[in-house]
Amino acid sequence: MNFKHKFVFLLPGLIVLIGILIFPIIFTVRLSLSGWNSFNPELDFVGIKNYIRLFTDDPRFWESFFRLSFLAVTTVFLQYIIGFALAHMVWKDIKFKRFFRVLFLIPMMTTPVIMTVIWRTFFHESLGPLNDFLSIFGVQPQWLSSPGLAKISIIIVEVWQWTSFMFLLMLAGLLSLPKEPFLAAAIDGASPFKKFMYVTFPLMAPISIGAIIIRLIEASKIMDTVFVLTSGGPGTATETSSFYIFIKGLREFQMGYAATMSFTYLIIMIISLTIIAKVLTKVLMKE
Amino acid sequence: MAKIELNNIAHSYNPHDANPLFALKEMSLSWADGGRYALLGPSGCGKTTMLNIMSGLVTPSHGRVMFDQKDVTHTITEERNIAQVFQFPVIYGTMSVYENLAFPLKCRHFADDQIDKKVKEVAEILNLQDFLKNRAKGLTADQKQLISLGRGLVREDVAAILMDEPLTVIDPDLKFRLRRKLKEINAKYKTTLIYVTHDQNEAMTFADNIIVMDEGEVVQAGSPKDLFERPQTTFVGYFIGSPAMNLYECQADNTNQVSLGMNTISVQTNLDQKNTSNLKLGIRSEYITVEQSSGPNTIHADVIEVEDFGNYKLITAQQDSLRIKAKVKREQVVPTDKVFLKFPAEHCCIYANNKLI
Repeated sequence: MNFKHKFVFLLPGLIVLIGILIFPIIFTVRLSLSGWNSFNPELDFVGIKNYIRLFTDDPRFWESFFRLSFLAVTTVFLQYIIGFALAHMVWKDIKFKRFFRVLFLIPMMTTPVIMTVIWRTFFHESLGPLNDFLSIFGVQPQWLSSPGLAKISIIIVEVWQWTSFMFLLMLAGLLSLPKEPFLAAAIDGASPFKKFMYVTFPLMAPISIGAIIIRLIEASKIMDTVFVLTSGGPGTATETSSFYIFIKGLREFQMGYAATMSFTYLIIMIISLTIIAKVLTKVLMKE
Repeated sequence: MAKIELNNIAHSYNPHDANPLFALKEMSLSWADGGRYALLGPSGCGKTTMLNIMSGLVTPSHGRVMFDQKDVTHTITEERNIAQVFQFPVIYGTMSVYENLAFPLKCRHFADDQIDKKVKEVAEILNLQDFLKNRAKGLTADQKQLISLGRGLVREDVAAILMDEPLTVIDPDLKFRLRRKLKEINAKYKTTLIYVTHDQNEAMTFADNIIVMDEGEVVQAGSPKDLFERPQTTFVGYFIGSPAMNLYECQADNTNQVSLGMNTISVQTNLDQKNTSNLKLGIRSEYITVEQSSGPNTIHADVIEVEDFGNYKLITAQQDSLRIKAKVKREQVVPTDKVFLKFPAEHCCIYANNKLI
């Protein structure tokens, strides 16, 4: 088979790839070099003016980015710990194992936006059942209108919604582990803690890295929870990069500038996730 | 170290079913302290199940496991003082070689100086002393397998070291060296070694006692010589030896003579008053000799093929439906068309219903 024939077979896939991935990226880059806004809706060329504005005159973007980093790392860390613990629990022979396996997956099966609306009602400061209960102890936390608690509320919702996914990945990993290392550890007289530290955890390291990276990518796109729960507030206390880009692009129609932020955000995410993956490999796999 | 006895042991993975299937059929076996044993048999014959019963990883559905007269049938693995080496090397990848070897002692709360002394001693025996500070993960497959073995050797209380096809991942030259090393360890520490394999060469060169298993049963236990010269069943005759034992259906002519096709073969088995139905004659290809002319116990056959294996020749000859394989010295001159093959009476084994008479 010569080169041309191969190309014919590859072409459908390449066209789809170019259409859905490469074209939007190239268009975003071009758009980021334009001054497209609601007053001037055309693809003109303004050079790197938008980039200069982003790097020198927009602290709100960087604040939202660091806020996002904090939220993403915290939620994924908690999801990993809880997901791993739950997976470890139902991996062992316990009663009602199958029931628990399904139960822990339920949050993932629900619609995030609808669940966030339910959570918003739950956290409602005057009408919500949570504060109704806490009033017994004489406290009425401002879950959604205090900057610190609003962040915690978002973390709780995100952890509740996505721990199931981490649980699923970790359980699949645990079920695929060879049994010999565990038998050998039993023969060596290792305690359950030592078995976990020296057998389970190292064997799960590659799966853990994959799961954490997948969840970090997803968590860095956090939008619906913020939109429904706090709308970025109070003030900008829970505003994340994607939400800020959404405001600039689709509320204020500064399309050129929103494209600049999107592309910058994409580059930062590629670099930081690559570094995180390497660091995780070094730390978890001790390589 | 301990004497291990399996009393009326049997194991079924579905013992409560109406018709349970037995991975291991009822048997009693005794393993002498300090012995070197091989469990030999084809895949799925119950070798690993038996090994796991001894180590406590499987609790037998029937019978008792005794260590030095003490019933340990329901004792957990950790308390049995057994070491086990698996088919694929099991190491603690995050630890150094030293830490790997020290691990079983640390789990048993030994003092640091005792651990250090024992680890260094075992590392020297296994030639691992130069790698003690290295990460275990970076070593070769055979070195990793040595670490697995070393974790068993550091413990002085080990009743036996059980090895489940431990040399599968190792290349032939290293296999030979490791088998020699295992023999040295057995000689030095007098540790009972039980070695599971489906490779007869490994079993024959390693063990001084071989237990041959088939379909969950022990079909023969004995020295390599016994298994080779007097296989108790046609299965053992077929399974042990390369090529397999020549086996032919035959009829008893009188007390020590059988007819094999159109040939009459004298044997040293007394066929009088024995069950003489479904008789088979078995002879190792190593014992068949090439003769210059016809004589007693000689079969005149067509030469089909002569294969040169370097240190010996393998003759494949045929007379009607009898296909004969004979192993001769390389220097032996073999006719290209017809050959006289002698079946020495003292090496002919007679089987009735596949069991040696």
